[in-house]
Amino acid sequence: MEKIDLLEHLQPHIYIPLKIGNIDISITNAVIMMWIACILVFLTLFLAGRAGRLVPKGLQNLMESIVSYLRTNLIYETIGEKGMAWFPFIATLFFFILFCNLLGLIPKGFTATSNINVTASLAIVVFLCTQGAGIYKHGPFGYLKKFIPKGVPLWIIPLMLPIEIISQFAKPFSLAVRLFANMTAGHLVILVFLSMIIMFKSVIVTPLPLAMAVVMMAFEIFVALIQAFIFSILASMYIAEAVHAEH
Amino acid sequence: MDPVGFAYLGGGLSIGLGALGTGVGMGIMVGKTVEGMARQPEVSGLLRTTMIIGIAFIEALALYALVISFLLIFK
Repeated sequence: MEKIDLLEHLQPHIYIPLKIGNIDISITNAVIMMWIACILVFLTLFLAGRAGRLVPKGLQNLMESIVSYLRTNLIYETIGEKGMAWFPFIATLFFFILFCNLLGLIPKGFTATSNINVTASLAIVVFLCTQGAGIYKHGPFGYLKKFIPKGVPLWIIPLMLPIEIISQFAKPFSLAVRLFANMTAGHLVILVFLSMIIMFKSVIVTPLPLAMAVVMMAFEIFVALIQAFIFSILASMYIAEAVHAEH
Repeated sequence: MDPVGFAYLGGGLSIGLGALGTGVGMGIMVGKTVEGMARQPEVSGLLRTTMIIGIAFIEALALYALVISFLLIFK
Protein backbone atom coordinates (compact mmCIF):
# COMPACT_ATOMS: atom_id res chain seq x y z
CA MET A 1 0.00 0.00 0.00
CA GLU A 2 1.22 3.40 -0.94
CA LYS A 3 0.99 6.40 1.33
CA ILE A 4 -0.65 9.44 -0.25
CA ASP A 5 -0.62 12.91 1.20
CA LEU A 6 -4.30 13.84 1.13
CA LEU A 7 -3.82 17.27 2.59
CA GLU A 8 -1.74 18.39 -0.36
CA HIS A 9 -4.87 18.71 -2.52
CA LEU A 10 -6.48 21.09 -0.06
CA GLN A 11 -3.54 23.46 0.17
CA PRO A 12 -3.87 26.53 -2.02
CA HIS A 13 -1.29 26.72 -4.79
CA ILE A 14 0.40 30.08 -5.04
CA TYR A 15 0.66 31.42 -8.60
CA ILE A 16 1.88 34.96 -8.05
CA PRO A 17 3.47 35.66 -4.63
CA LEU A 18 2.52 39.12 -3.39
CA LYS A 19 3.17 40.76 -0.05
CA ILE A 20 2.25 44.08 1.51
CA GLY A 21 4.21 44.47 4.72
CA ASN A 22 3.53 41.34 6.70
CA ILE A 23 0.24 40.57 4.98
CA ASP A 24 0.32 37.81 2.40
CA ILE A 25 -1.95 38.66 -0.53
CA SER A 26 -0.58 36.13 -3.00
CA ILE A 27 -2.73 35.18 -5.97
CA THR A 28 -3.62 31.56 -5.21
CA ASN A 29 -6.01 29.23 -6.99
CA ALA A 30 -8.63 30.05 -4.33
CA VAL A 31 -8.45 33.72 -5.35
CA ILE A 32 -8.75 32.83 -9.03
CA MET A 33 -11.73 30.55 -8.35
CA MET A 34 -13.42 33.38 -6.46
CA TRP A 35 -12.88 35.70 -9.42
CA ILE A 36 -14.37 33.08 -11.72
CA ALA A 37 -17.31 32.68 -9.32
CA CYS A 38 -17.87 36.46 -9.32
CA ILE A 39 -17.86 36.60 -13.12
CA LEU A 40 -20.18 33.60 -13.39
CA VAL A 41 -22.66 35.00 -10.85
CA PHE A 42 -22.67 38.32 -12.69
CA LEU A 43 -23.09 36.72 -16.12
CA THR A 44 -25.84 34.32 -15.02
CA LEU A 45 -27.92 36.92 -13.26
CA PHE A 46 -27.27 39.59 -15.90
CA LEU A 47 -28.28 37.31 -18.77
CA ALA A 48 -31.31 36.12 -16.79
CA GLY A 49 -32.46 39.63 -15.96
CA ARG A 50 -31.69 41.27 -19.30
CA ALA A 51 -34.58 39.77 -21.24
CA GLY A 52 -37.13 41.00 -18.70
CA ARG A 53 -40.03 39.12 -20.21
CA LEU A 54 -43.36 39.36 -18.44
CA VAL A 55 -43.83 35.62 -18.86
CA PRO A 56 -40.37 34.25 -17.95
CA LYS A 57 -38.72 31.54 -19.99
CA GLY A 58 -35.58 29.42 -19.63
CA LEU A 59 -32.83 30.96 -17.50
CA GLN A 60 -35.00 33.87 -16.42
CA ASN A 61 -37.59 31.43 -15.16
CA LEU A 62 -35.04 29.52 -13.08
CA MET A 63 -33.46 32.62 -11.57
CA GLU A 64 -36.80 34.27 -10.83
CA SER A 65 -38.00 31.23 -8.95
CA ILE A 66 -34.75 31.05 -6.94
CA VAL A 67 -34.85 34.77 -6.12
CA SER A 68 -38.49 34.69 -5.08
CA TYR A 69 -37.85 31.61 -2.93
CA LEU A 70 -34.95 33.41 -1.25
CA ARG A 71 -37.06 36.51 -0.73
CA THR A 72 -39.85 34.62 1.01
CA ASN A 73 -37.65 32.38 3.12
CA LEU A 74 -34.68 34.60 3.92
CA ILE A 75 -36.30 38.02 4.29
CA TYR A 76 -40.06 37.90 4.81
CA GLU A 77 -39.97 35.07 7.34
CA THR A 78 -37.01 36.36 9.36
CA ILE A 79 -36.53 40.13 9.21
CA GLY A 80 -39.97 40.91 7.80
CA GLU A 81 -41.19 43.32 5.13
CA LYS A 82 -38.84 46.09 6.27
CA GLY A 83 -35.84 43.83 5.74
CA MET A 84 -35.93 44.13 1.96
CA ALA A 85 -33.00 46.56 2.23
CA TRP A 86 -30.91 43.55 3.29
CA PHE A 87 -32.04 41.39 0.39
CA PRO A 88 -29.25 42.35 -2.07
CA PHE A 89 -26.60 41.51 0.54
CA ILE A 90 -28.15 38.18 1.56
CA ALA A 91 -28.83 37.10 -2.03
CA THR A 92 -25.29 38.04 -3.07
CA LEU A 93 -23.92 35.91 -0.23
CA PHE A 94 -26.11 33.00 -1.35
CA PHE A 95 -25.15 33.12 -5.03
CA PHE A 96 -21.45 33.72 -4.36
CA ILE A 97 -21.17 30.82 -1.90
CA LEU A 98 -23.26 28.57 -4.15
CA PHE A 99 -21.02 29.20 -7.17
CA CYS A 100 -17.83 28.83 -5.09
CA ASN A 101 -19.10 25.49 -3.76
CA LEU A 102 -20.16 24.18 -7.16
CA LEU A 103 -16.95 25.25 -8.91
CA GLY A 104 -15.00 22.88 -6.68
CA LEU A 105 -16.84 19.90 -8.15
CA ILE A 106 -15.52 20.60 -11.64
CA PRO A 107 -12.28 18.73 -12.38
CA LYS A 108 -9.17 20.91 -11.97
CA GLY A 109 -11.30 23.27 -9.93
CA PHE A 110 -10.70 24.31 -6.36
CA THR A 111 -13.34 25.05 -3.75
CA ALA A 112 -12.59 28.53 -2.49
CA THR A 113 -14.94 27.91 0.44
CA SER A 114 -12.85 24.94 1.62
CA ASN A 115 -10.27 27.49 2.71
CA ILE A 116 -10.84 28.82 6.24
CA ASN A 117 -9.61 32.30 5.27
CA VAL A 118 -12.38 32.73 2.70
CA THR A 119 -15.18 31.57 4.99
CA ALA A 120 -13.80 33.60 7.89
CA SER A 121 -13.80 36.77 5.78
CA LEU A 122 -17.41 36.13 4.74
CA ALA A 123 -18.36 35.54 8.38
CA ILE A 124 -16.60 38.74 9.49
CA VAL A 125 -18.58 40.72 6.90
CA VAL A 126 -21.78 39.19 8.29
CA PHE A 127 -20.67 40.00 11.85
CA LEU A 128 -19.98 43.65 10.99
CA CYS A 129 -23.34 43.92 9.22
CA THR A 130 -25.14 42.41 12.20
CA GLN A 131 -23.57 44.77 14.72
CA GLY A 132 -23.93 47.74 12.38
CA ALA A 133 -27.60 47.00 11.83
CA GLY A 134 -28.22 46.72 15.57
CA ILE A 135 -26.39 49.93 16.41
CA TYR A 136 -28.05 51.83 13.54
CA LYS A 137 -31.49 50.72 14.69
CA HIS A 138 -31.21 51.13 18.47
CA GLY A 139 -28.27 53.51 18.94
CA PRO A 140 -25.05 52.44 20.70
CA PHE A 141 -26.54 52.41 24.22
CA GLY A 142 -29.87 51.00 23.22
CA TYR A 143 -28.07 48.17 21.47
CA LEU A 144 -25.97 47.42 24.57
CA LYS A 145 -29.16 47.41 26.65
CA LYS A 146 -30.51 44.65 24.39
CA PHE A 147 -27.88 42.28 25.79
CA ILE A 148 -29.71 42.31 29.12
CA PRO A 149 -33.14 40.71 28.75
CA LYS A 150 -36.00 42.42 30.55
CA GLY A 151 -37.03 41.17 33.98
CA VAL A 152 -33.86 39.38 35.06
CA PRO A 153 -32.74 39.73 38.67
CA LEU A 154 -29.98 42.28 39.24
CA TRP A 155 -27.42 39.80 40.56
CA ILE A 156 -27.56 37.70 37.42
CA ILE A 157 -26.60 40.57 35.07
CA PRO A 158 -22.80 40.28 35.58
CA LEU A 159 -23.20 36.62 34.64
CA MET A 160 -25.52 37.26 31.70
CA LEU A 161 -23.62 40.06 29.99
CA PRO A 162 -20.34 38.22 29.25
CA ILE A 163 -22.26 35.21 27.96
CA GLU A 164 -24.34 37.37 25.63
CA ILE A 165 -21.24 39.18 24.34
CA ILE A 166 -19.33 35.92 23.79
CA SER A 167 -22.29 34.48 21.93
CA GLN A 168 -22.11 37.46 19.55
CA PHE A 169 -18.56 36.41 18.66
CA ALA A 170 -19.38 32.71 18.57
CA LYS A 171 -21.91 33.25 15.78
CA PRO A 172 -19.47 34.29 13.03
CA PHE A 173 -17.02 31.63 14.24
CA SER A 174 -19.57 28.87 13.85
CA LEU A 175 -20.64 30.28 10.45
CA ALA A 176 -17.05 30.15 9.21
CA VAL A 177 -16.24 26.71 10.60
CA ARG A 178 -19.53 25.19 9.37
CA LEU A 179 -18.99 26.17 5.74
CA PHE A 180 -15.28 25.36 5.79
CA ALA A 181 -15.66 21.95 7.42
CA ASN A 182 -18.60 20.91 5.24
CA MET A 183 -16.78 21.69 2.03
CA THR A 184 -13.47 20.20 3.18
CA ALA A 185 -15.07 17.01 4.49
CA GLY A 186 -17.10 16.40 1.34
CA HIS A 187 -14.12 16.80 -0.93
CA LEU A 188 -11.90 14.71 1.32
CA VAL A 189 -14.40 11.84 1.16
CA ILE A 190 -14.39 11.89 -2.65
CA LEU A 191 -10.60 12.11 -2.58
CA VAL A 192 -10.31 9.16 -0.19
CA PHE A 193 -12.55 7.02 -2.42
CA LEU A 194 -10.55 7.86 -5.53
CA SER A 195 -7.18 7.41 -3.87
CA MET A 196 -8.25 3.89 -2.85
CA ILE A 197 -7.71 2.92 -6.51
CA ILE A 198 -4.12 4.13 -6.36
CA MET A 199 -3.55 2.61 -2.93
CA PHE A 200 -4.63 -0.92 -3.86
CA LYS A 201 -2.94 -0.88 -7.29
CA SER A 202 -5.50 -3.28 -8.71
CA VAL A 203 -8.09 -3.10 -11.51
CA ILE A 204 -10.54 -5.37 -9.68
CA VAL A 205 -11.37 -2.85 -6.93
CA THR A 206 -11.76 0.06 -9.37
CA PRO A 207 -15.56 -0.04 -9.98
CA LEU A 208 -16.52 0.17 -6.31
CA PRO A 209 -14.64 3.36 -5.38
CA LEU A 210 -15.70 4.93 -8.68
CA ALA A 211 -19.37 4.18 -7.99
CA MET A 212 -19.04 5.55 -4.45
CA ALA A 213 -17.31 8.67 -5.78
CA VAL A 214 -20.20 9.25 -8.21
CA VAL A 215 -22.72 8.91 -5.37
CA MET A 216 -20.71 11.29 -3.19
CA MET A 217 -20.49 13.80 -6.07
CA ALA A 218 -24.28 13.82 -6.37
CA PHE A 219 -24.53 14.28 -2.60
CA GLU A 220 -21.98 17.11 -2.76
CA ILE A 221 -24.15 19.07 -5.22
CA PHE A 222 -26.97 18.83 -2.66
CA VAL A 223 -24.61 19.84 0.17
CA ALA A 224 -23.34 22.83 -1.84
CA LEU A 225 -26.92 24.09 -2.24
CA ILE A 226 -27.88 23.45 1.38
CA GLN A 227 -24.76 25.07 2.80
CA ALA A 228 -25.19 28.20 0.69
CA PHE A 229 -28.80 28.39 1.87
CA ILE A 230 -27.88 27.80 5.52
CA PHE A 231 -25.14 30.42 5.47
CA SER A 232 -27.47 33.06 4.07
CA ILE A 233 -30.48 32.16 6.24
CA LEU A 234 -28.32 32.26 9.38
CA ALA A 235 -26.89 35.62 8.30
CA SER A 236 -30.38 37.04 7.89
CA MET A 237 -31.50 35.52 11.20
CA TYR A 238 -28.60 37.16 13.02
CA ILE A 239 -29.45 40.48 11.41
CA ALA A 240 -33.11 40.01 12.33
CA GLU A 241 -32.15 39.27 15.93
CA ALA A 242 -30.05 42.44 16.14
CA VAL A 243 -32.71 44.63 14.54
CA HIS A 244 -35.80 43.43 16.36
CA ALA A 245 -36.85 45.42 19.36
CA GLU A 246 -37.45 42.87 22.10
CA HIS A 247 -35.39 39.85 22.88
CA MET B 1 4.27 3.95 23.11
CA ASP B 2 4.40 6.34 20.20
CA PRO B 3 2.62 9.66 20.86
CA VAL B 4 1.81 9.99 17.13
CA GLY B 5 -0.21 6.79 17.36
CA PHE B 6 -2.24 8.28 20.19
CA ALA B 7 -2.89 11.34 18.03
CA TYR B 8 -4.31 9.13 15.27
CA LEU B 9 -6.40 7.25 17.82
CA GLY B 10 -7.67 10.51 19.28
CA GLY B 11 -8.52 11.83 15.85
CA GLY B 12 -10.52 8.76 14.96
CA LEU B 13 -12.33 8.68 18.30
CA SER B 14 -13.07 12.40 18.11
CA ILE B 15 -15.05 12.26 14.87
CA GLY B 16 -16.52 8.86 15.69
CA LEU B 17 -17.98 9.82 19.05
CA GLY B 18 -18.88 13.28 17.78
CA ALA B 19 -20.85 11.80 14.90
CA LEU B 20 -22.58 9.33 17.24
CA GLY B 21 -24.29 11.97 19.33
CA THR B 22 -25.01 14.20 16.36
CA GLY B 23 -26.56 11.31 14.46
CA VAL B 24 -28.90 10.47 17.32
CA GLY B 25 -29.87 14.13 17.68
CA MET B 26 -30.51 14.60 13.98
CA GLY B 27 -32.50 11.38 13.79
CA ILE B 28 -34.81 12.48 16.60
CA MET B 29 -35.18 15.90 15.05
CA VAL B 30 -36.00 14.74 11.51
CA GLY B 31 -38.34 12.08 12.87
CA LYS B 32 -40.28 14.64 14.89
CA THR B 33 -40.45 16.96 11.90
CA VAL B 34 -41.88 14.20 9.71
CA GLU B 35 -44.43 13.46 12.43
CA GLY B 36 -45.42 17.10 12.49
CA MET B 37 -45.64 17.21 8.70
CA ALA B 38 -47.82 14.09 8.61
CA ARG B 39 -50.15 15.54 11.20
CA GLN B 40 -50.36 19.00 9.67
CA PRO B 41 -49.29 19.00 6.01
CA GLU B 42 -50.26 22.66 5.61
CA VAL B 43 -47.35 23.90 7.76
CA SER B 44 -44.77 21.60 6.13
CA GLY B 45 -42.98 24.52 4.45
CA LEU B 46 -42.36 26.28 7.75
CA LEU B 47 -41.36 23.00 9.42
CA ARG B 48 -38.87 22.23 6.67
CA THR B 49 -37.11 25.59 6.97
CA THR B 50 -36.97 25.32 10.75
CA MET B 51 -35.64 21.78 10.48
CA ILE B 52 -32.86 22.84 8.10
CA ILE B 53 -31.80 25.62 10.49
CA GLY B 54 -31.84 23.19 13.40
CA ILE B 55 -29.84 20.66 11.42
CA ALA B 56 -27.25 23.36 10.75
CA PHE B 57 -26.86 23.95 14.49
CA ILE B 58 -26.63 20.25 15.35
CA GLU B 59 -24.31 19.54 12.46
CA ALA B 60 -21.92 22.23 13.63
CA LEU B 61 -21.09 20.05 16.67
CA ALA B 62 -20.01 17.14 14.47
CA LEU B 63 -18.01 19.53 12.32
CA TYR B 64 -16.13 20.85 15.35
CA ALA B 65 -15.18 17.26 16.12
CA LEU B 66 -14.12 16.84 12.50
CA VAL B 67 -11.88 19.90 12.65
CA ILE B 68 -10.28 18.59 15.85
CA SER B 69 -9.63 15.23 14.21
CA PHE B 70 -8.09 16.96 11.17
CA LEU B 71 -5.80 18.86 13.52
CA LEU B 72 -4.81 15.65 15.31
CA ILE B 73 -4.26 13.53 12.19
CA PHE B 74 -2.54 15.99 9.85
CA LYS B 75 -0.18 17.35 12.48
